[in-house]
Amino acid sequence: MSLLRFEDVRQSYGAEEVLRGISFEMDRGDVEVVIGPSGSGKSTMLRCVNRLTEVDAGTIYLDGEAITTPDTDVNDLRRRVGMVFQDFNLFAHRTALGNVTLGLEEVLDYPREEARTEAMAQLERVGLADQADSYPAELSGGQKQRVGIARALAMDPELMLFDEPTSALDPELIGDVLAVMRDLAEEGMTMLCVTHEMGFARSAASTVSFLDGGQVVERGPPARLFESPANERTGEFLERLTSLHGGEQ
Amino acid sequence: MTTVVALAVGEVGLGVVLQAGDWAFVLRNAEFLLLGAGITVALTLTSVLLGLLAGLPAGIIEVYGSGAVVGAVSRLGVLFRGTPLLVILAFTFFVNPVNVGAFEAATLGLGLRSAAYQSQIFRGAIQSVSEGQMEAARSVGMSQVEAIRHVIVPQALRRSIPGFQNEFTIVLKDTSVAFFIGLAELLTRGFNLFTQTGQSTAILEVVLAVSLVYFVLTVATNQGLDYLGRRFAVPDSGGER
Ligand SMILES: Nc1ncnc2c1ncn2[C@@H]1O[C@H](COP(=O)(O)OP(=O)(O)O)[C@@H](O)[C@H]1O
Ligand SMILES: [Mg+2]
Repeated sequence: MSLLRFEDVRQSYGAEEVLRGISFEMDRGDVEVVIGPSGSGKSTMLRCVNRLTEVDAGTIYLDGEAITTPDTDVNDLRRRVGMVFQDFNLFAHRTALGNVTLGLEEVLDYPREEARTEAMAQLERVGLADQADSYPAELSGGQKQRVGIARALAMDPELMLFDEPTSALDPELIGDVLAVMRDLAEEGMTMLCVTHEMGFARSAASTVSFLDGGQVVERGPPARLFESPANERTGEFLERLTSLHGGEQ
Repeated sequence: MTTVVALAVGEVGLGVVLQAGDWAFVLRNAEFLLLGAGITVALTLTSVLLGLLAGLPAGIIEVYGSGAVVGAVSRLGVLFRGTPLLVILAFTFFVNPVNVGAFEAATLGLGLRSAAYQSQIFRGAIQSVSEGQMEAARSVGMSQVEAIRHVIVPQALRRSIPGFQNEFTIVLKDTSVAFFIGLAELLTRGFNLFTQTGQSTAILEVVLAVSLVYFVLTVATNQGLDYLGRRFAVPDSGGER
């Protein structure tokens, strides 16, 4: 059974339909990379999975269970689905360690010391144990994003959502974040990633989806999709992307 | 050693001269005045505390609440901000069907009015915390209340300190209005001193002493709150990216 399944998902902001019937599924351990032009609905699609945005029609299933119903326990759903934001959104008043311990203490009810131990292990995992006592303002963008990843991982999620995790980073800081994401993929984490890092998509993605105008225009293994896109729009988008050196916001 | 400082010595004199004898009068009654200052400080603390306890939830409700509660809270705020303090005190002391002492009535009046202003300080501070902070908190599974408590409020409180500092000193100075309901705070005691028969020449000295005490208290308060701000400061709390 698939871990995540979209079934004809639709979402509108006012009169503007942003998601126009999205259907796809991914298995446990899959890494799905979503690409597409700005405004095509990529962020909205991710946000529907953890209900930061509500769908208007259609259903999303996590591990076979519909999670877009009114009686879904939203807080439990969000605990099970980690999210990494484009602009980090680290808790500005807490240290790197404090960012990771907060969810452990408040959501998973870890005692203080155990939360600390677990959070240190997560910071270790993203290579930032030595920055545990730094505040977000004292970290580089790449470090902030890795704290963001550690914060999400600490909740032991079944699925990780990444919304352009490297788009706000200086080029020389992107590599560290991608390395952490690659490690995660290798460990078997199920990941739904909006990213235009073609190298990452090629090496880590099981499947790539091209989203345009709120629809999945084309979907396939990275090698196939990148080398011989079947759809004209996919081809055009990929061409623009490579000519811009992978730099779409 | 009669120091005579001529401030505005007209032919009539008008007592606008600083007399050593009058300063001695102030000094003799220093303890009496300082007890008044103690009441002023106590009244400031209870009023600001009441203002905080009611104003912080009110500010939170104005931002995150929904429905009729928001309307009720914001209308109460408008009411208390739009009513002169003396009138509020007339209600809490003279009109109040419950028989309360002047101190309690003053705390209630000053505290509720302060709550109305503090709610706006906190509302603004909460709104200045970026949307992403709430989303990040919710995305790890925190409820809205948990997110407000552990993520939004701690950041908002830090940003409220300058406004809170301002409000604190306003309340401190406005405690003098409790004179109106006969509370024996600093100004009331000053008034009682210079209206004693034969002490009319000491009016300036008494009022100067009283204002000096207010000034010292204001400066001390500001420094205390500055210290608090530094103590809980976080590197560049303005930038949550
Ligand atoms: N909160 C919102 N209110 C109104 N419109 C929105 C909101 N969020 C996104 N949109 C609109 O939805 C469309 C898709 O946005 P988004 O999912 O962020 O696209 P992408 O992530 O692919 O750039 C855009 O046209 C955007 O303007
Ligand atoms: Mg986006």
